Amino acid sequence: MRSQKWFYILMCMMLVAAGAPAVIAQDEYVFGMVLVGPADDRGWSQSHFEGGQYVEANMSNARMLVFESLNPADAPETTLADVVELFVEEGAQIIFTTSDAFEEDTVAVAEQHPDIIFVNISGDDVLTGEAPENVGNFMTQGEWPRAIAGCAAALSTNTGKLGYIGPLINSETRRLAASTYLGAKHCWEHERGNDAADLTFEVTWIGFWFAIPGVTLDPTEEANSFFDRGFDVVMSGIDTTEAIVVAGQRAAEGETVFSMAYTSLQGCDQAPDTCIGIPYYNWGVAYLDHVSRAAAGEWEQDWDWIGPDFDDPTNIDTSVTWFQRGDGLSEEVSMQLDAFIEEMKAFAADEMNADGIFLWQGPLNLQDGTVLAAEGENVSLNDIWYLSQLVEGMIGVSE
Amino acid sequence: MNHTPRSLGLRLVFLVLPLLVALFVSAVILLLLNQEPGEVLRQAWRGAFGNERRIASVLNYWIPLSFAAMGLVITFRAGLWNIGIEGQMIMGAVFATYIPLYVPLPPILTISLSLVLAATGGAIWAVLVGVLRNRFGVHEIFGGVALNAIAAGISLYLVRGPWALVGNNNQTPVFPRETWLPTISDRFGVSQLMLILLVIAVLSIIFLMGRSRWGLQLKATGRNRQSALLLGVSVRSVSLSAFILCGALAGIGGAHRVLHTYHYLLPNVAGGIGFLGLLVVMLSGFHAAIVPLVAYFMAALSAGSTRFQTLLRLDPSLIDVLQGILVLTYVLFSGIQDRFFPRIREGNEEMKKEITTNE
Amino acid sequence: MQIEIRHIHKRFGSIQANDDISIVFPAGRIVGILGENGAGKSTLMKILSGFQTPDEGEIWIDGQAENYRGPQAAIALGIGMLQQDPLDVPAMTVMDNFTYGAPGAFWLGHSHLREQIQSTSAKIGFDLSPDQMVNQLSIAQRQQLEIVRLLALGVRTLILDEPTTGISSDQKEQLFHTLMELAREEGMTILLVSHKLEDVITLCDEVIVLRAGKLVGQREMPTTKSELVHLMFGQQLTEERRNERDIAQSNIVLQLDDFTVETQRLSVEPITLSLHEGEVVGLAGLDGSGQQPFMRACTGLMKGAGGRLRLDGEDMLGRGYGEFRRAGVAFGAAGRLEEGLIAGLTLIEHVALSQASDHWMGVLDWQKAGAEMQTRISRYDIRGAGEDMIEALSGGNQQRLLISLLPEQPRLLVIEQPTRGLDVDSVRAIWGQLLARSEQGAAILFSSSDLDELVTYSDRILVFFEGRTHLIEDPSQTTVSDLGHAIGGAFDSVQGEHVRA
Repeated sequence: MRSQKWFYILMCMMLVAAGAPAVIAQDEYVFGMVLVGPADDRGWSQSHFEGGQYVEANMSNARMLVFESLNPADAPETTLADVVELFVEEGAQIIFTTSDAFEEDTVAVAEQHPDIIFVNISGDDVLTGEAPENVGNFMTQGEWPRAIAGCAAALSTNTGKLGYIGPLINSETRRLAASTYLGAKHCWEHERGNDAADLTFEVTWIGFWFAIPGVTLDPTEEANSFFDRGFDVVMSGIDTTEAIVVAGQRAAEGETVFSMAYTSLQGCDQAPDTCIGIPYYNWGVAYLDHVSRAAAGEWEQDWDWIGPDFDDPTNIDTSVTWFQRGDGLSEEVSMQLDAFIEEMKAFAADEMNADGIFLWQGPLNLQDGTVLAAEGENVSLNDIWYLSQLVEGMIGVSE
Repeated sequence: MNHTPRSLGLRLVFLVLPLLVALFVSAVILLLLNQEPGEVLRQAWRGAFGNERRIASVLNYWIPLSFAAMGLVITFRAGLWNIGIEGQMIMGAVFATYIPLYVPLPPILTISLSLVLAATGGAIWAVLVGVLRNRFGVHEIFGGVALNAIAAGISLYLVRGPWALVGNNNQTPVFPRETWLPTISDRFGVSQLMLILLVIAVLSIIFLMGRSRWGLQLKATGRNRQSALLLGVSVRSVSLSAFILCGALAGIGGAHRVLHTYHYLLPNVAGGIGFLGLLVVMLSGFHAAIVPLVAYFMAALSAGSTRFQTLLRLDPSLIDVLQGILVLTYVLFSGIQDRFFPRIREGNEEMKKEITTNE
Repeated sequence: MQIEIRHIHKRFGSIQANDDISIVFPAGRIVGILGENGAGKSTLMKILSGFQTPDEGEIWIDGQAENYRGPQAAIALGIGMLQQDPLDVPAMTVMDNFTYGAPGAFWLGHSHLREQIQSTSAKIGFDLSPDQMVNQLSIAQRQQLEIVRLLALGVRTLILDEPTTGISSDQKEQLFHTLMELAREEGMTILLVSHKLEDVITLCDEVIVLRAGKLVGQREMPTTKSELVHLMFGQQLTEERRNERDIAQSNIVLQLDDFTVETQRLSVEPITLSLHEGEVVGLAGLDGSGQQPFMRACTGLMKGAGGRLRLDGEDMLGRGYGEFRRAGVAFGAAGRLEEGLIAGLTLIEHVALSQASDHWMGVLDWQKAGAEMQTRISRYDIRGAGEDMIEALSGGNQQRLLISLLPEQPRLLVIEQPTRGLDVDSVRAIWGQLLARSEQGAAILFSSSDLDELVTYSDRILVFFEGRTHLIEDPSQTTVSDLGHAIGGAFDSVQGEHVRA
């Protein structure tokens, strides 16, 4: 058959093209980075990708391997096991899987590759004891900048109504939303001297990290609905920036409204004038720490919930997360915000400092009235991590 | 069917020529992106055939793709555009998830019951398309698109809600190890059961299409529904049976995704494999026997290309562009073929028109 | 502009659509082209307007031989055709519709075209707004749009194919008025293809008549209707009469009582009719007079609107084709490759498909089907091999195959145009087969546009005109020309009665 002949010719062409495997330079240290979305998503995946680039820039022999958009819609033909195999073959010795969507698969794959270090970001398998020895977890304490964001929102609002567009509901998204609320409530009461009962804080969960037509709610519609109902600050807890865009449009029509972005330092770029700020992640610090420990043979399994560097929170070489002020923040509010931040820092430096504040301090109830912490008592880190409901005073569903 | 030697030669030319043209165009695009086409080809080759794990990985994509595509051969034969195949795969995956998660049974029962349920789930979803078409006159493309969205919504709801893994709403809990499909070996992680089922499906469909009365009724319905009706074919039942069979096969393909590829249910589990199946069948010229080969080619292309982004820093969407070029050149060449080498003599065509206009 | 046609031949497979036609169409005249279905009128007009090319022959325009292909080329020479179904793009405005066909329209300013539509419409008394959506226009307005479009393209000869179908009599009057003005004042040539004798008599200066592809007559108007009917249908002596049989004694197969059929365009008046075993009833009428939906309603393909329909005593109204088929009803449609046969399937596949005895789950026995095909090929004199694709067969052979696929012993055969476009041999062969079934007790209902065929083979004839019906009890007492008058609505010209309750 002639078709067979062609097939053989084609095969031969391909075989000639195939040659020696990749050569790994002697002194190179290779790490892998698996992303759930595209590396340029202006959100979660981009912030991790930039963290990897930071490692390359600050560790001379480090080389990053990247796999973007590993999810069944974008890469149905590939699983985490396939990607890890490719990374290992190319010489990777530590692999970061940067989504809790990879949590279960990371454990399974780690068992297949006991010589390779795996770090799953935002998973808790180390905490629960399910992880084999070569798996670590870490997460940054985004709750601090969230509280600052909430405070900035409460200081900026004229109507006393704050809207929050959340993704899906789990303990991570609940604690981030609750932190924002606690920051807002604190500044509403203590910086502005208002009654907490006059503050409205409402959460709408769209159902996923970004909009999927027909499946999730439409964030643009939700943002407009908030503004239509008299809310004047809408905060984004999702990967995309609809709330920022809508606020910009509303402001162009003469309304006095504000928005809050999330995750990436570019989050405000689409409508900077109405954007109060961004609670952002700076993963590079943590990644460099893990990669250099691994390269030095000092890596050990842990579950690390890394807080910001309170001495120099905006330092990109030391602080994993903080709040970036936006153009929408007025001078006056900015100064009040400074005071709040100082109080927060004071607590972080010394829990016993009388000037310090800790927002997760009792009396604090969950939405259904269950006591989370009694008067004067601090909520434990474990209870914050596994926060089971929104806290009392917030409007919106907990499950 | 009888083909003269000339027409057979032509068919081969029109099979190979587009492939060469597509390779050439792709090479030009890669050169424009400052990539060396030879290197890209080398990586694709290694990605698809580099070692037994890679071959297994290609097969694991090929199996559900072939199930879907073989199902589509049936609906296409009946003249139906089963766009709803994607939703049928999702429902197959959903139905296949229940028993491993919640009903402790001996593994052999779990697996066989799950497969039966998956086929049922896919078939139910397909029957809905058929009923919408037969009873309510909703074209199968619109019905299919709507049912795809509903299936996606159902799977998302289950994964987020009732079937969610505690503390993580991206997926259901991982199935117990003993309910995973057995594989040929650790390094060659392909399910022999699924391979055997696929071979049976392919052979029976080829046989049914060529030798059964039902196959002929399908063909007649697809070519001319009205004439088939007048010749005594119960066209509605025939269409419905095509949908059922296609849905069942798609459901089994969906089951493969959860029982073998992931071992849990997650949103978007079908990942567009159903839609790719439509392309595969069209590129195969609707010939059942060619479908598995084309599906394998597509699977190898996809699997081979996963390395591009990591090793060559190419945008992952580039592979879609390359696949698109392949499809476009095939469509283009089949257009050229129809234009310059028509199968029916012109006189007959004109006669046909004359009869029509005299109506 | 004068058009001269010289020795035009056009063949489709075994059908000689145009057979050595020569004719002159002088400028400024309105010429009617008459002929029964399949006489070759449409083919001739399509050749003139470039949609088809002749096998042989020449077209001379103003004394010069022109060889052109395609409607655009014809329009460039000044010949434009208004299709039976106006060829427009419904989801567009009048303006867009007007623009896409205009040469170089892409670069023209829209205001220029807008003026052109308005001025041309105004000149000939049409009321077209450039911004109307085409799908909101009536059929008459679409025709107007098409005429304006062709005029704007500089057409000097306008061909109209059945332009009065589906428009009201007021609209018809306006159309005719416009056409007359175009001929008288602009000196345009108008060619009108029509079944409707009244239209032709009202409008035309001259008629030509085609029959079986040949030019058989040319008359200056005015002339009488009967003269035209005579020309159209000829006066061939019927060759065979059927044996007299005492049909009234046999069982009733199909019993209709006040049976009505409705389509969007037409409702057929209540019909009461008993069809006996062995009886052949012919349905006469111009296209679109109601016989087509009536036949489909008698086979369950369409739902009857009211009354009773009983098959062998069983009430079948509202049931589907499948049940009718199981009750012994077989249907043969006029469009063979649209309804009945399946392009892309071989002869053997057709036979295998029609053999209802096998269960659908069954495995096909190609050898058996091949052998069965072979017997049918010889018995029905089908010229073709079992492996041939159906579309490779000539029309006559397709029709023979279609007949051979009908059940051997049906209770009721309903056949549209069983012999349309076929040569004399094929006609005889097919009627031989049909009558053989009727001898065995099948009742037959058939429609035809061939009046000879109707008179020859029918035991009774049901005449349709605009949904009204009239039953001729004894066709042997009826001449072809009387029948011709009757299908034009003059029921008085034949004996018989209204089939009304």
